[in-house]
Amino acid sequence: MEAPPVTMMPVTGGTINMMEYLLQGSVLDQSLESLLHRLRGLCDNMEPETFLDHEMVFLLKGQQASPFVLRARRSMDKSGMPWHLRYLGQPEIGDKNRHALVRNCVDIATSDNLTDFLVEMGFRMDHEFVAKGHVFRKGIMKIVVYKIFRILMPGNTDSIEPLSLSYLVELNVVAPAGQDVVSDDMRNFAEQLKPLVHLEKIDPKRLM
Amino acid sequence: MAGVPVVRISIESACEKQVQEVGLDGSETYLQPLSMSQNLARLAQRIDFSQGSGSEEDEPGSAGRAWAEPGEAEDEEGLVKFQPSLWPWDSVRNNLRSALTEMCVLYDVLSIVKDKKFMTLDPVVQDPPPPKQNPQFLQLISKKKSLAGAAQILLKGAERLSKSVAENQENKRQRDFNSELLRLRQHWKLRKVGDKILGDLSYRSAGSLFLHHGTFEVIKNTDIDLDKKIPEDYCPLDVQIPSDLEGSAYIKVSIQKQAPDIGDLGTVNLFKRPMPKSKPGSPHWQTKLETAQNVLLCKEIFAQLSREAVQIKSQIPHIVVKNQIISQPFPGLQLSISLCHSSNDKKSQKSASEKQNPEDHLYVLEHNLHQLIRECHKQTLSSTVMPHPASAPFGHKRMRLAGPQAFDKNDISSLQSNEGLLEKIIKQAKHIFLRRRTARTIDSLASRIEDPQIQAHWSNINDVYESSVKVLITSQGYEQICKSIQLQLNIGVEQIRVVHRDGRVITLSHQEQELQDFLLSQMSQHQVHAVQQLAKVMGWHVLSFSNHVGLGPVESIGNASAITVASPNGDYAISVRNGPESGSKVMVQFPRSQCKDLPKGDVLQDNKWNHLRGPFKEVQWNKMEGRNFVYKMELLMAALTPC
Repeated sequence: MEAPPVTMMPVTGGTINMMEYLLQGSVLDQSLESLLHRLRGLCDNMEPETFLDHEMVFLLKGQQASPFVLRARRSMDKSGMPWHLRYLGQPEIGDKNRHALVRNCVDIATSDNLTDFLVEMGFRMDHEFVAKGHVFRKGIMKIVVYKIFRILMPGNTDSIEPLSLSYLVELNVVAPAGQDVVSDDMRNFAEQLKPLVHLEKIDPKRLM
Repeated sequence: MAGVPVVRISIESACEKQVQEVGLDGSETYLQPLSMSQNLARLAQRIDFSQGSGSEEDEPGSAGRAWAEPGEAEDEEGLVKFQPSLWPWDSVRNNLRSALTEMCVLYDVLSIVKDKKFMTLDPVVQDPPPPKQNPQFLQLISKKKSLAGAAQILLKGAERLSKSVAENQENKRQRDFNSELLRLRQHWKLRKVGDKILGDLSYRSAGSLFLHHGTFEVIKNTDIDLDKKIPEDYCPLDVQIPSDLEGSAYIKVSIQKQAPDIGDLGTVNLFKRPMPKSKPGSPHWQTKLETAQNVLLCKEIFAQLSREAVQIKSQIPHIVVKNQIISQPFPGLQLSISLCHSSNDKKSQKSASEKQNPEDHLYVLEHNLHQLIRECHKQTLSSTVMPHPASAPFGHKRMRLAGPQAFDKNDISSLQSNEGLLEKIIKQAKHIFLRRRTARTIDSLASRIEDPQIQAHWSNINDVYESSVKVLITSQGYEQICKSIQLQLNIGVEQIRVVHRDGRVITLSHQEQELQDFLLSQMSQHQVHAVQQLAKVMGWHVLSFSNHVGLGPVESIGNASAITVASPNGDYAISVRNGPESGSKVMVQFPRSQCKDLPKGDVLQDNKWNHLRGPFKEVQWNKMEGRNFVYKMELLMAALTPC
């Protein structure tokens, strides 16, 4: 698989050369409450927050075999927040010593005319969905528990239906490249969530 | 059956069958002849086993027996003597008899031996077992063995008993430990690492960014000596605090007038306040942890301050030496912030008694430093809001908006302008110092100058950077009519703003002299104002009034003020000039008619000119009666007013 064009650029330092460490799992709707309860106890002492986001995935098909994917996300329940444009690289499973999935990641806050800009650039919207759930924080770790909703009519985020009867649980850390130590912390945290939810590094390629 | 022994008779029996009875008719019934075995039994019955020995025995026991069956014994003896071979059981009898004899001998020997009077038994000497000692030794060994067995059983029992007791106590202590741990858990963050229980002292969960790990270890303090008395403050749970957090610490803030010798830097403030006598036992874990946490917080404050002291560029650079930060808020003034950390070693306690200056402390600032750092913590905690959309990274919302909204440099720098702890505390120190100095100035003026009087009303509730005082200048006894000068002094950080009653605002710098001069000029103006007020009351007319007289000698402070008032009928006039430095000068103008010595000019011949006023004459003010200026003035006015 060819590397996407962004990684061809020599980028160093700053927020560009960041990696996302990710662990995923899922819980059924009925055990959501106990998981949230546990998370409230484990995470930093902050008011638990909910979120309602709308995410669109854009593709740019070039001469390369694989399309270039960008994710544009906006908050639907909080106004005045910038849009979030995200590039995610190819996930690396790594060996046993690394306890989390690692992928390159670029986060950019943008203005709200992002979609127009992307379309102008030649991107095409591949799919969109609404994510609704809870977000927690522990140190640099972010824990999101959310349900994915299918958008019935394209562009209308009001008519949605849940995709499944379960919630997706993600534990992620965005850290500079090479800091595999964070994956240990993540593993420890994931251990504490057992048996409510088993967070694992899930290779998306296998699922496809 | 047997015949008389002397007569030899045949042994053959007379008849084969014994006659049992003879019937009346002469018929004989016969006994059936004995069978062989019956015969044997009968014969055996006849044998007297004890016979024969009786003659040899001289003991009484056997005599009785001999006496019991004498006849039979005779009979037997005869039988033995005369029919030895004929007796079919003779050999058996003989053998038995000899055995009996032997037995009797043995019995006698044993009974004699038992008495140990005439005979003793001596074992035959044999080689392998040692003679004589052997039985004692054996006895000893067997005794020892049995004792050892008994002892072992006892020991086992005791062991089991003590074990169960210890287990009981251990259980109890374990329970105590667990309950203590539970209590500890309610107040402190704990976690289990391996087989250790670690706790968190740091303020990290409260938002601190201090790098110190602040970990303490929970120890099970159960291995005390069971024999000794358990001390009263015994606690099964103990905590191990990192060595650098032991002891007690505090931040000392002081303002000094003159700069100390450079050699004293960093050592002056090492002296500690007297430590409360610690009790001999180890303190409770709660107090231990609280002190350690306080040490940690003090360290954090000091680290933060020293970092800022080095980073912040100021006109007079801040000095950080050892455990002391020195800054100069005002020229000639030194603010020193120092971290005093006393571990419990003897050496440091010794030096504590050497020098102490309790007045040196600025407790307010020390308290405020703690408050500021906590505010800082809170800010870091509250500034990290959850990201929206949820996939976005953590961070300030405004920082994330900076890109999309194209912030310019000013906007971005305004995001980051965060006044440091040191700057804040220096500002507070400046304010405190300025306030103190203002109070001192006013007080010294009030005590130095009696007329007019100066009163200061301080507000009780202040901001950390601003406080205000109301200054009233009055004359004693005339407070009601002389209310001209009311000043509101707003003391800030660098300057004092004076708000006049009429709304004028004057800004004074931090210099002490400025305030003093200003107050002096106000006081001199007050006298003139008082005359004006008095004139109104007395019915005099104000002819002229000036706060700032342009004539006369120049005052070094401010300006002289002057007033001229005329008596109700216009005959007399009083002119007062009062200068802050030159003091008051009072002149009285007489009517021309009263002046005898006035040279009669040629020009003013007409009588009407006599109504013109005459020349001024100065009143010797210090010889006037009256306790203060206004009173004197009242007397003067009264004297010049015609009845």
